Amino acid sequence: MQRLAIMGKFRIRVSSVWPVWRMAAAILLLPVTAFAAPAAEKIAKIAVFPTAPYYIFIVYESLAVFWVAILGLLVIIRMKLREIERVQEMGADREDPDAPLLQ
Amino acid sequence: MNCPRLKAWLEERYDWEGMKRLAKGKLIPEHRYDLWYYTGGITLFLFILQFLTGMLMAFYYVPHIDFAHKSIIEIVTKLNMGWFFRSLHHWGSQLAIVFLFIHLFGTLLLKSYRKPREFVWLTGFILLGISIFFGLSGYLLLWDERAFAAVRVATGGAGAFPFIGGFIKAFLRGSMDVTGDTLLRFYAFHVAILPILTLGLIGLHILLVQLHGMSVPLSLQAEKRREIPFFPNAFYRDLAIWLVVTGVLVTLAVFLPPEIGVKADPLAPPPENVKPEWYFLFLMQTLKLFPGSILGMNGETIAILLVSGAILFFFLIPFFDQKSARGEKSPLFTWIGVIYLLYFLTMTAVGFLS
Repeated sequence: MQRLAIMGKFRIRVSSVWPVWRMAAAILLLPVTAFAAPAAEKIAKIAVFPTAPYYIFIVYESLAVFWVAILGLLVIIRMKLREIERVQEMGADREDPDAPLLQ
Repeated sequence: MNCPRLKAWLEERYDWEGMKRLAKGKLIPEHRYDLWYYTGGITLFLFILQFLTGMLMAFYYVPHIDFAHKSIIEIVTKLNMGWFFRSLHHWGSQLAIVFLFIHLFGTLLLKSYRKPREFVWLTGFILLGISIFFGLSGYLLLWDERAFAAVRVATGGAGAFPFIGGFIKAFLRGSMDVTGDTLLRFYAFHVAILPILTLGLIGLHILLVQLHGMSVPLSLQAEKRREIPFFPNAFYRDLAIWLVVTGVLVTLAVFLPPEIGVKADPLAPPPENVKPEWYFLFLMQTLKLFPGSILGMNGETIAILLVSGAILFFFLIPFFDQKSARGEKSPLFTWIGVIYLLYFLTMTAVGFLS
């Protein structure tokens, strides 16, 4: 019982002092919070690109594969175009009206 | 893949063989300036990409002042590959306007607008104007403080136009200032009105190009030159160039995704050093050259009138250049084209660096 009474007194004392401490701390920390505000704004910058290293790696890897595919397709198109031009130069693409029709 | 039954089915209903002959019969002149022909194709390709990526984003975008900014953040941060498609849409629009300008100045300097292609030039020029408005309307949809300030300046500038300026400003804004009404209006322009106009004009532009054929520069008309069939020769070259453009676009989208600023607050002061999109920088710098008042008249109004006059002259250039229309060389109009190009590039660079 005696212990409980001591605890009660302590609680009353602390609770009566606490708002004063809280106010004092708030006033003292005011410049600190004001100073930290731009930093908080920086943190709030919206991520417009994946942030996890795993996803970043996947994105760059996919980009590399994409370029390899583009280069491969360019090579195929170039080969195809050369073949078309070769056939055109030979005149083999022109239709011969006198050619016998195989049915 | 031969598919004879499908071919027979099509042949029965449409003149399939005739269409094939038409595609193979279309010839493209081959000369040392023929690279300019491909800039139109690149622009068309980028327009198609813009339509596709824009449609994807329209599924998730909310055109309301309370949700617009948030919905874009959600597209970028929560949707699978949302950041990529937004970035692709952003860089696609930038590249489309770059290639439109290249196509425009190429056409101007090679005098491809000359008789009988006046309407090809006019439709292309209107398409450039529409594309710039596409850019402006799309910029506001982000609803961040920079977009808000830039659109406020741009619509305010339109208000300086004498007689009809007030009407244009009110029509664009939908109210006294840039508000939720403006956002909704710009959204309607961006996703409905401008795409319909663009589709119609692109169709007309391509139809006219098919009708007149490709223009050959005056200096090369007398020369004997080779002609290649559009299909498959030019088509494959187009395909190769489109692949490279896709690669560049995707690389830009990955390495330089566009930022999202703080949500627009109509009551907050505008952020420092607000600049419009790069294709408006020459206009902004021109306005800066003029004093506030000239002979008792508003300097901004005079500047806007002069710029509008210069753009109108540019638009109607095929009708002024009579020498080209007669098939004669017209160095005066070449110099006019060079001056326009240099002015645009210099003012854009100054605006960018200042």
